[in-house]
Amino acid sequence: MANPFTLTRAARSLCMAALVVGGGGSAWAAGEDGDEGRALCAAKILTCAAEAGPADVVNNGALLIKDGVIQGVLHKANDIPDGYKIEDLGDAWLMPGLVDLHSHIAGRGYNDSVFQANPGLRVKCTVVPQNGNLVRALAAGVTTILYIPGSATTVGGQGVLLKTSPATYEPMVVRDPGSIKVAQADNPKRWGFRMNRIFLNWTIREIFGRGAVYAQAWDEFEAGTGPKPERNIQLDIFRDLFAHRTQISAHTQVHQVILASMDIMKAKYGLDLYIDHGTFDGYKAAAIAEELGVAAVIGPRSVNFQNKGRGIDTNGAVIGVAAEYQRRGHSRIGFNTDAPVVPQEELALQAAMGVRYGFDDSEQGAVRGVTIVPAGIAGIDHRVGSLEVGKDADVLVITGHPSDPRTSVERVYVNGERVYDATEGRVF
Amino acid sequence: MKLSLFTLTLCIGFTSTAALGQTVDSRAVGVRPLEPVGYEAPLRTTRVTSTAKFAILSSKIVTCAEQGESVINHGIVLVSAGKIEALGRQGELDIPIGYEIINVGDNWVTPGLIDLHSHVGGSLRGNDLNDTVFLTNPGLRASAAITPGNSNLRRALAGGVTSVLYIPGSGSNIGGQGTLMKTGFDTYEPTEIRNPGSMKLAQAGNPERFAWGVNRSFMNWHTRETLKRGIAYAQSWEDFAAGAGEKPEMNIQFEVFRWLKPRATQISAHTQMYQVVLQSLTRVIGDLKLPLFIDHGTIGAWKLAPLVREMDVAAALGPRNVDVPSRGMMNWSQNIEAEGWRGTAVGYQLAGVKEIAFNTDAPVMPQEELSLQATIAVRYGFDDTSMQAMRGLTIIPARIAGINHRVGSLEVGKEADILVISGHPADQRSSVERVWLDGHEVYNADEKREY
Repeated sequence: MANPFTLTRAARSLCMAALVVGGGGSAWAAGEDGDEGRALCAAKILTCAAEAGPADVVNNGALLIKDGVIQGVLHKANDIPDGYKIEDLGDAWLMPGLVDLHSHIAGRGYNDSVFQANPGLRVKCTVVPQNGNLVRALAAGVTTILYIPGSATTVGGQGVLLKTSPATYEPMVVRDPGSIKVAQADNPKRWGFRMNRIFLNWTIREIFGRGAVYAQAWDEFEAGTGPKPERNIQLDIFRDLFAHRTQISAHTQVHQVILASMDIMKAKYGLDLYIDHGTFDGYKAAAIAEELGVAAVIGPRSVNFQNKGRGIDTNGAVIGVAAEYQRRGHSRIGFNTDAPVVPQEELALQAAMGVRYGFDDSEQGAVRGVTIVPAGIAGIDHRVGSLEVGKDADVLVITGHPSDPRTSVERVYVNGERVYDATEGRVF
Repeated sequence: MKLSLFTLTLCIGFTSTAALGQTVDSRAVGVRPLEPVGYEAPLRTTRVTSTAKFAILSSKIVTCAEQGESVINHGIVLVSAGKIEALGRQGELDIPIGYEIINVGDNWVTPGLIDLHSHVGGSLRGNDLNDTVFLTNPGLRASAAITPGNSNLRRALAGGVTSVLYIPGSGSNIGGQGTLMKTGFDTYEPTEIRNPGSMKLAQAGNPERFAWGVNRSFMNWHTRETLKRGIAYAQSWEDFAAGAGEKPEMNIQFEVFRWLKPRATQISAHTQMYQVVLQSLTRVIGDLKLPLFIDHGTIGAWKLAPLVREMDVAAALGPRNVDVPSRGMMNWSQNIEAEGWRGTAVGYQLAGVKEIAFNTDAPVMPQEELSLQATIAVRYGFDDTSMQAMRGLTIIPARIAGINHRVGSLEVGKEADILVISGHPADQRSSVERVWLDGHEVYNADEKREY
């Protein structure tokens, strides 16, 4: 029986050639101008288009890739224009590469906690490209991550949005700063003796207050209405935040802590904030989050259950966090791992667990929650998160629905380049 | 905008208690200036108003009203839109069509109980409520740790406690800002009554553990220093608002003083021994003119009651407050003069102190034992002939906290926080049968009885 994933000798050598051609400065070879395009024909294409609708799923269609970018999503394979090499992938599915907005796997030493609030720290200086975790992430279809500092302090520093592809640092970057990381309960309490939840709350209010004053002083200077402020690299990130060039990824999970995040960062300062690492009983704030336009990224493995120590009393019930956000009217729900606490390759499992505990997937919520929804939340949906014309050709070839644990990733493209192929050495 | 709603409701302020022959309260909680510049307004969204309309019929309704009848025998309470719509006698007050009739027979109907010293509103995980990085922390907010619907609060409801002042612990002299909250909701929005509910001050005993070498006179000095800086901070904003000064730099450590100075909130002082209460009265109220009530009042301080009365200060007493004779080495009360067991509340009452409430310090004492605090007071001599014990659990703490326009009594227009209880709350044989909060039924012993 013909294996649709077995590359022809010619295709394989083409692939190798592309790697060699692009390998001058880095091992990174985005499709170059003049390259032959590729048309991937598949039984099912989950486009995860930004606008949900019938175009979401294309059966027996073809995906056109050229110059590292998606050129078209065709409903009929016989519409493929000239200049595209056709590959029939048989019963395989295509979907966009997965996006994880809570990950720590791109490097080491990302939890510096000299101060209780460290908005100036940049985790990008710890990135180790092509490390083993990134290789496994890619093999599981995770192509974009928000690599962020740990939660040992209330403000851990600045994250960076990266592709997981085997490259040097520069071509991996999707956006820097990718976010500013805020953490509120539990972990940062270990920082110092007698520091607990209400002191952490105070610390965040204090640093955001100073950041607001700093950003405003620069705005006034640039508008010609104020003196030139003294540069303070600890607070520079607030200029990006107040100009809406980046967001706050808040590791915020307990009901009251989510309220505090929204109170300080969204209601008071109007900053772009999303709930990250959403677990426990945070869904109780879902209605306000929806009202304020605060998206929720849920995980890892988030179910809420009896936890007297935290004051969480569910009457013995095990409650799906994503399902409960949804039931309370929240409309922008994504999933994350917190890798390596939970392995990066288990991102799809987070969505599967969501569905297992009641999350409604009838409109592809579990697929969109690991693709276009997190891409939109992070403000990078013009590049990644869906298979739409003009976006980066980050494409997965998989054997079925990504939330089905029997499904395996067979091939991964990033920027149109084949960066993983299970037939050449299967990881999962 | 959201803040103004709350400010508006505060305008109602205090009224006098005709039944107790009081004049207009001089401690009246004042009005905060609208749109305070730079203040971090707490997050608020719409409360869900109860649509239930019902009439409770009972043999005895104890209204604890500030004015008018305190007891209505064979009465009716009408509830709609989460508020008390009308009160009257059966046969005199018409029940409108469409109202559910709830006849509770010989059970009493009373307002929900109020505790002004509680720590069970939220997380106690890792001492979340007792952050003591500094010796004075006026900027910290207990609201950052609230967990609505937690199991302690559920037991509070079953004990009839519907509102609490949730405050930081006493690990430091100023633990931070408390939150006045209701006990029976699952989400924060309907839970909050006022934030800041108070600023917590603690003077002797516990904060002395803060560090080696920090004892009572250092703490006294340090507290005065913080209070004076806070007052100066609030003054500089008032000057700025009046056009008489530069715009001050915002300092979230002192923002609460912009509420305290115009008396929009108060200091709840965990103050209990003679010398310490004396400092609260003379330094904080007398010299610094800040609004303050005695909270967690125990041990020998009742001997100061004449001064408390003279300065017209209110006192919340408890937990289980009896003054006991010296035990030598175990002289934890530091009261060398007590000759026998003596009730604290009666000491304050005999000196003529008018506003006496009871508190628990839950979870040091279980939250559901609030009514027991009044029981012990009566057991040790507190006079209850004018229902002072009952009022000390309801309208008096509401008035002390400045929330009596919303809770604390069954009066037309107030929030429908109602108990059905089998007898007097200070009678420990009584059991709470049903509880409503803002017209929502939040406990029903017929479905699952706690006590």
